[in-house]
Amino acid sequence: MGMSFAGKTAVVGIGATDFSKNSGRSTLRLAVECSDAAIRDAGLRPEQIDGMVLFTVEDNHEIDVARNLGIPELTHFSRIHHSGGAACGTLHQAAMAVASGACNYCLVFRAFNERSETRFGVGVQNRAPAPTPMEVDFGWSSPFGLLTPASWVAMFARRYMHEFGATSEDFGRVAVADRKHAANNPKAHFYEKPISLEDHQQSRWIVKPLHLLDCCQESDGGQAFVVTTLERALDLPQPPAIIAAAAQGSAEDQQMMKSYYRDEITDIPEMGLCARQLWRDTGLGPSDIQTAILYDHFTPLVLPQLEEFGFCARGEAADFIRDGNIEIGGRLPINTNGGQLGEAYIHGMNGIAEGVRQIRGDSVNPVPGAQNVLVTAGTAVPTSALILSGSH
Amino acid sequence: MSESEEPGFVAGLRESIGRSGSIWVARDPVNPAMIRHWCDAMGDHNPVYTDADAAARSIHAGIVAPPAMLMAWSMRGLEPAGEGPDDAEDPGTGVYRALDAAGFTSVVATNSEHDYIRYLRPGDELHSSQVVEDVSEEKKTGLGVGHFVTTRTEYRNQHGESVGRMLFRILKFKPGTGRMAQAGGQEAAERPMRPQPGISLDTAFFWEGLEAGELRIQQCGACSVLHHPPMVRCPQCGNYDLGWVEASGRGTVYSHVEPVHPAFAAFDPPYVVGLVELEEGTRLLTNIVDIDPEAVRVGMPVELVIRRENSQGSLPLFRPVCPPRSEVTRAGDAVAVGDELPPCPIPITTTLIISTAIASRDYQDVHHDRDLAMERGSPDIFMNILTTSGLCARYVTDWAGPEAVIKRLSLQLGVPNYPNDTMTLSGSVRSSEAGRVEVAIRGYNRLGNHVTANVELELPPASD
Repeated sequence: MGMSFAGKTAVVGIGATDFSKNSGRSTLRLAVECSDAAIRDAGLRPEQIDGMVLFTVEDNHEIDVARNLGIPELTHFSRIHHSGGAACGTLHQAAMAVASGACNYCLVFRAFNERSETRFGVGVQNRAPAPTPMEVDFGWSSPFGLLTPASWVAMFARRYMHEFGATSEDFGRVAVADRKHAANNPKAHFYEKPISLEDHQQSRWIVKPLHLLDCCQESDGGQAFVVTTLERALDLPQPPAIIAAAAQGSAEDQQMMKSYYRDEITDIPEMGLCARQLWRDTGLGPSDIQTAILYDHFTPLVLPQLEEFGFCARGEAADFIRDGNIEIGGRLPINTNGGQLGEAYIHGMNGIAEGVRQIRGDSVNPVPGAQNVLVTAGTAVPTSALILSGSH
Repeated sequence: MSESEEPGFVAGLRESIGRSGSIWVARDPVNPAMIRHWCDAMGDHNPVYTDADAAARSIHAGIVAPPAMLMAWSMRGLEPAGEGPDDAEDPGTGVYRALDAAGFTSVVATNSEHDYIRYLRPGDELHSSQVVEDVSEEKKTGLGVGHFVTTRTEYRNQHGESVGRMLFRILKFKPGTGRMAQAGGQEAAERPMRPQPGISLDTAFFWEGLEAGELRIQQCGACSVLHHPPMVRCPQCGNYDLGWVEASGRGTVYSHVEPVHPAFAAFDPPYVVGLVELEEGTRLLTNIVDIDPEAVRVGMPVELVIRRENSQGSLPLFRPVCPPRSEVTRAGDAVAVGDELPPCPIPITTTLIISTAIASRDYQDVHHDRDLAMERGSPDIFMNILTTSGLCARYVTDWAGPEAVIKRLSLQLGVPNYPNDTMTLSGSVRSSEAGRVEVAIRGYNRLGNHVTANVELELPPASD
């Protein structure tokens, strides 16, 4: 049996700050600005917002944002774990909240100065060795110098290359597609700056086998959404981006970024779990998806995502990509905003906004006939995904 | 012109170029005792060198000397002064003495190229003659300020047959004038500590095990299933009574990465983080050590070595396992360009350095006398070039098989092999045509690349 809220809620407002390398503003200011913009985009007033769902790792407090926006009362507030894995999970939670009546208009946002203040890419080398679950977990990796998100993902990538014969160039083609799409996006950091596969191969090593251009940017910025029921959405100005289905997934022997102890480490079973829920709740399949935003903190894990959703068979994503399928004009253009490599790294939330724009028809790289858009959240962590659909 | 030298100094040295010295007759004929000593010291167990029966059945039809011993036969050993021929007439010796007199008293070999025209047999008497081929201008090197001297030596047997040739290049330098001698040990001492693991009541057994010199894997006391990382309850059977077993320490590389950027002060690049699958079935993260990072491969056999690095406690690290010696000689048609030789770690001990120096009759003090080596500006004794040649030859024939015949061995030395290190040889096939095979190899130690070599082999062209 599917989830009762499937298809009954919608994203009715999106709003973002500028995406930059140094916002020059506090994260609270970014949070308030993007939320303000999303509420306006939805044609609502702040006092109509009565729910809020954030990432657990969001620094800003619901109450501070509410106070600054002039939101008087909140009847639902909750947080979603696991960093970028939370992205679609926040909308999943918001959809459940409005469908259940816990709130009517739910605000979701993510805002940070990830480039100018707290960079994830610098690594975790300075943590204190406390006997807490998190430090015990780092104890299996940090003493050996496996300290950065890129290195955690590279371990999967090397094994994937070994098992399926994928190459660095196959990963590079994801970067080339992202940057090609970003080149058309004035909001993207890499607007009008496409790259070639040669550029990718020549870019410096971050952690072998990953080059610099396999890695997403680090960015400052904020991205917000307003979610409400489809019934209410029909009274609002924007065409609703219906949350046809949303799902979270955590799979057997799940670890944070380092699920290295499973029988297989070249698939993403937690994403497969999301996929099965989405197909079940929508009755759709891979052929019904016109475009997808696949989480791209690092290029290699885009490949098994294509496999988990059945766009190609297991181990064949490199061929699928090599055939040009993921670029505009291909079978499944991905990351039409430029992705997190090309547009900005806003923890996957800017990708969800691009999904909404594809449904509204105002993407900078519109995919003709985009009726169902798949969006995924962070890979290598407990994750989430959703399908946005048009109302016609 | 360098300020340290008189005008015309190099020009004077270069007058020796092209002049042949006297013919030197080896002090002993090729003999089984020296061959056995060499093979023991090098760890070379190829039976064609020491096993008369096996050698008689081989393509050699009898015992042969390891080809890399070529130069060893004509070394002068600990010959008392004045008992040899008049060295001053020898152009090579003359150049060396002139450099000694000018303060370039330290010596290190940098290159050698051996051509083996035919393998030597017991009873052969080696006659050699040397020509100075080049003397360089003064150069600043990592070891010190000095001159490269290149010589070429022809080897004949007692019947006048040409049996081999050697090009040899050494650096004569002034002790204490280089960077490398000073740098050495300091850097590691200043390296900050690695991140320490968080240790809980549930995981303490793992870290305590390392201090006790063993790698422990958690095991359910009820259903015997193994778990890593450790748990508090066996998800298979629900039991809370979890113990551990000691791992054999054998495993294979399941995946690996080489972090490059950002650099972490606690980690000395280049370094490899490996995901090792133990033969018991669990995996763990570790460093793959004692190997050129570029030579690490998924599937490579590795073995545990527990070490305290710049860490509070001991860490479980893994290094390559020396592959077994091939008992059967590979056929040329079974060797393809790009084939890789499995890496082979060789522990560099004081014993290895000294025993191989003596086995090669090389009594240069820097290869056996630590005090004198340090006086000459070296942090310790170091391996001589003949041993590096011998180990490269052994590595290639251990892979190719006992009847592989080495035709040519050329090598260039990089950083020295000091005691208490490990040099890991790795290699790949560069060309293979009708049984003529060229293998490129590298020997990598903690300081970097010790040797880059090319070995040309003759193999039976086709398998039967």
